[in-house]
Amino acid sequence: MAKFKVSADIGGTFTDIVVEDDAGEVRIGKVPTTKENPALGVLQGIGQLVGDPSEIDFFVHGTTVGLNAFLERRGAKTMLVMTGGISDTYTIARGHREELYKLHYRKPEQLVPRRNVHEVRERLAWDGSVITELAEEDFAPIIEKAKAEGFQAIAVCLLHAYTNPAHELRAREVLKAALPDVSVSLSHQVAPEWREVERASSTVMDAYVAPVVELYLNTLKAELAKSGMEKTVHVMGSSGGVMTDRLAKERPIATLMSGPVGGSIGGCELARRTGLENLLCVDMGGTSFDLSLVIDGQPEMTSETVLEGLPLLMSIVSIDTVGAGGGSIAWVEAGGLRVGPQSAGSYPGPVSYSRGGTEPTVTDANLFLGRLGDDSLLDGKMKLDSEATRKAMERLGRQIGLSDRELAEGILAISNAKMADAMRTITVGQGIDPREFTLVAFGGAGPMHAVELARELDMTQVLIPRFPGTFSAWGMLQSDIRHDLVASHIGVMSAVDEKELEASFADLEQQGRERLREENVAEGAMAFARAVDLRYEGQEYSIAVPLEDGDTLADMLDRFHALYERRYGHSQPESETEIISLRLAATGQFEHGGEEASFTPEEGEPQVGTRDVIFDGETHSTPILKRARLVPGKPMASPAIIEEESATTVVPPGYTITIDTFGNMLVAAGESA
Amino acid sequence: MTTSNPHSNPVTTEIIRNAFNAIAEDMNASLIRSAFTPIIYEGKDCAVGLLDENGDVLGQSLGLPLFLGNLSLCVQIVAEMKGWDYYEEGDVILLNDSYIAGTHLNDITVIMPIFWEGKRIGFATSRAHWLDVGAKDAGSPTDAREIYQEGMRWPPTKVYRKGVPQDDILAFMRANSRFGDALIGDLHAQIAAGRTGEMRMRALIDRFGYETVQAARDDIFAQSAELERQAILAIPDGEYTAEGALDNDGISTDPVPVKLTVRVSGETMEMDLTGSSKQTVGGVNCGFTQTVSALRVAFKLLINPERPVDGGTFRALNIVAPEGTIFHAAAPAACSWYFSSLGMLIDMVVKALAPALPQRAAAAHYGDSMVTIFSGTDARNDDAFFVAVEANCGGWGAWNGGDGQDCLINNVNGSFRDYPIEVFEHRYPMRITKYGIRQDSGGEGEFRGGNGSYREYELDGDTTLSLWFERSLTRPWGLSGGSEGLGPQVEIVAPDGTVRDDLLKTSTLPLKAGSVVRVATGGGGGFGDPAQRSAERRQRDLENGYVS
Repeated sequence: MAKFKVSADIGGTFTDIVVEDDAGEVRIGKVPTTKENPALGVLQGIGQLVGDPSEIDFFVHGTTVGLNAFLERRGAKTMLVMTGGISDTYTIARGHREELYKLHYRKPEQLVPRRNVHEVRERLAWDGSVITELAEEDFAPIIEKAKAEGFQAIAVCLLHAYTNPAHELRAREVLKAALPDVSVSLSHQVAPEWREVERASSTVMDAYVAPVVELYLNTLKAELAKSGMEKTVHVMGSSGGVMTDRLAKERPIATLMSGPVGGSIGGCELARRTGLENLLCVDMGGTSFDLSLVIDGQPEMTSETVLEGLPLLMSIVSIDTVGAGGGSIAWVEAGGLRVGPQSAGSYPGPVSYSRGGTEPTVTDANLFLGRLGDDSLLDGKMKLDSEATRKAMERLGRQIGLSDRELAEGILAISNAKMADAMRTITVGQGIDPREFTLVAFGGAGPMHAVELARELDMTQVLIPRFPGTFSAWGMLQSDIRHDLVASHIGVMSAVDEKELEASFADLEQQGRERLREENVAEGAMAFARAVDLRYEGQEYSIAVPLEDGDTLADMLDRFHALYERRYGHSQPESETEIISLRLAATGQFEHGGEEASFTPEEGEPQVGTRDVIFDGETHSTPILKRARLVPGKPMASPAIIEEESATTVVPPGYTITIDTFGNMLVAAGESA
Repeated sequence: MTTSNPHSNPVTTEIIRNAFNAIAEDMNASLIRSAFTPIIYEGKDCAVGLLDENGDVLGQSLGLPLFLGNLSLCVQIVAEMKGWDYYEEGDVILLNDSYIAGTHLNDITVIMPIFWEGKRIGFATSRAHWLDVGAKDAGSPTDAREIYQEGMRWPPTKVYRKGVPQDDILAFMRANSRFGDALIGDLHAQIAAGRTGEMRMRALIDRFGYETVQAARDDIFAQSAELERQAILAIPDGEYTAEGALDNDGISTDPVPVKLTVRVSGETMEMDLTGSSKQTVGGVNCGFTQTVSALRVAFKLLINPERPVDGGTFRALNIVAPEGTIFHAAAPAACSWYFSSLGMLIDMVVKALAPALPQRAAAAHYGDSMVTIFSGTDARNDDAFFVAVEANCGGWGAWNGGDGQDCLINNVNGSFRDYPIEVFEHRYPMRITKYGIRQDSGGEGEFRGGNGSYREYELDGDTTLSLWFERSLTRPWGLSGGSEGLGPQVEIVAPDGTVRDDLLKTSTLPLKAGSVVRVATGGGGGFGDPAQRSAERRQRDLENGYVS
């Protein structure tokens, strides 16, 4: 009986399915997302590709259920409990302005209104010692209110709980005893780091999405089981590892960025297979452009992010987003040409979609210049209107004295430059030389712009993975189980006790080991990676310094100074440094096949047509190639347009295109040797 | 608006315009991330500017609004003093002279000329607030009578000359600050920001060529000027006025009058401060440069909030401030608290123009940074010396259609964040026992003013306290029938229970361990007739405890 590994990336509009069989053969599917019960869409997709779900050996999925519940404000009815005297910190939210030239500024709306923020008397000092014992009787009115008004979740965030969790743990006991069905999130577990506002905000988020995520996972699991798939359901976590549904229910906040990280993890797997260890991954769709880095085969991580103005402390793959996509609109202001950030989205969409859009977009420019053909989208199932596009270009061009063709090229040049600026920010801006990186492009529109983006940064190599339109789903299939643990450990380096540090790490490792065991990971498949957050004394921002086995404190400091020097161009080895927290990534490694899997092209002539395409003002008669028919190891010269169902790759003149044994497409600057 | 320059093209211009702003943002990120003191990384009391060879702005990040366009003026004034050839490749020039840069001595301007193929093609500049520059008291003194008591004063000073660090000058600087390591660290952070700007600017010119970048610059400036011209044309011609007064200058008890006249005529606007107070003994004075910046902030708030600032911005704005007044002070005027009068000025521009721009205006906000400075030694840390400087958030003014925001930092501050209690208690030997929203402190109206905040400290050791709280006299006014917000309040309770509530400004007041300090900030003014307030808004305020 065949065994399959299946992943599903459940997006807002489409659910992408990737299936890998035990021979390493990969197939993809795309079905509409069934919003009410996403399991139905998943099952439909699986049905098309696998047939019998009981043959599925491993299932992982990325979900936006938690994120959407937050974005649409459909989460649980949530209460927040904080230390007496200071609970307004949550509502004040640090008092800052995000927009400085706005008299009518309003802060982002908090998930819990002030009337549902409550206080209990208790107080810890900065070092965790108890100043005031927890007044348990203060919970009585809170419990009464929760019952009377039907609260589903309670977040608890007490001052300095990251150094001493005793009061929070007791709070949960008291609450759970009276309210067994209410989900309780504790700040020291969600985000054991200092800064009460950010920690409270993270804890509230966890509480807010918890019941929604739990219901969703229970339903999905039941539906899958009904159809015969009895295996554990895995969920992609924001930190780039998968976890079982059971742990996902315990740490719902960790599923928040479940969808987008698949691409970055896919990037890591590409790095492993191709030996290209430094990748800049870009995912471009209709409205946004996401960027992430893979360095030495590892994803760049961050420990803090902001969603719609609300801060979240959590380990997460670092993904930057800019508002640039196929739908970005071109417009004129005071005689200047602008592109975006307004987007036509899918409705009314670009002019060429004939859905009522009248302002030319990036997609329209691609069509006008021949990079897209009238029949390029969805294998020709969607016709593009090039005549309407030409008229729109003419109309806007006239306003600033450009021909339709100059305007179309201009729109692409401006939007490419904007994306390139964002690429510079995450590389050059951090002391990283992009020329040492390979650009990996995916998403519906990524491959169309990739080679020109690479050229903007003098990057000489571009990799378009196989099935770029469903690459995030493929990436999920490649990830390991991962849990990120953190412990506050604040102190100056000169006073650090190496034994104490080791003991703290050992403690984290023990916690990590337990979680992995709960997920049935064998001891031999476990791995633990340590890092410390360091900074110069007095600074706010710290740098995560990865540790290697046998590192001494001196090694750790040397690495910190070197990383600092790289990022900021100077370092101060003579200044005192400070440890902020210890981080541990506990991974349970799956067996990934695929290293030797060879890609077999489809029969048939690769070239299916020719189109006039404009590159740098010149018209080139350009072959249209069908990607599935390209034969590995046979270099081809550009220009070329390579089409497949979910994406179109545009390669201007002066590049060499090669398919590797995995079916990836490599585009290198220069004519082939 | 394209010029006839053969190098000019709207596509290239837009690419270069976006690049200038991206470079400025990256410079700012570099500065904030490597800074050593919380005033910069939490308070965001800093700004960066990428300038052209004439010192005009190409790109500026969001930073402290009050530094808006000011870096440009510094580069130009230094050039007037010393000639443009003073700027040599590899120089790092430092400057904090209040009568040049306009602000207090804690604000350090760093200028780094950018060269390309031997030619000076621009400047990477930044300004940041340094914690301590050796004033008579730690941080900033609240009772200085002369600039000489406010710290080291640097006319343009090369700390790197042609790429070579001037070690003797750096050692001298380090030795004269209570926090010398942090001072050098923050200087390095500013240099790092400058290097980012320099590298990116050179790469941009390598790619497009110098002539093309210049042509794009000319187009960008022309676009900005055109947008502003249109905006001012839309304002009815006329004279608009407003006046008010600061409580005092921190030395005497006399109010300090501020008077503003705005004249709109066709495509130009003049802001005239004639009639405002003569320069005072206490430090509410500033150099003219800083007055220009403050009025530019007000102008931008009302006229053109969205578009980034560049060398074409503010061309239609003329500013008049007579010499010898608080807005155009001369040596030896003290300038530590220069921003109090400027924050009021910004509110007053909005008030004056409210009749002409009713949809853009708002009632007054709580008005000033409301600063507490604690200093002393920390017994937990070998009696190390500390100074904790905090600004406090308060209520903003309501407008036609919306309530003012509760507890938001004042208009002259940047994207400041308050000090987390947990971080504060780790760093300083005291506890913050209360921090909250001050009920009923916003002015009433159809739309109510935002509420102020309160914060309570309990001291674990002997500590000194300096205070700078303002706007008890000219309270945050309402608009269109809305009432004014409450003013600030400070209460100090000694360990024996004695209460002092008569101080809003004080200098290094000694407090015993066990003392309690309670500070409260004012609310914003209301908008419109309170009788018109909707039942729904009243209900929401009651439920959430914003009003009683």
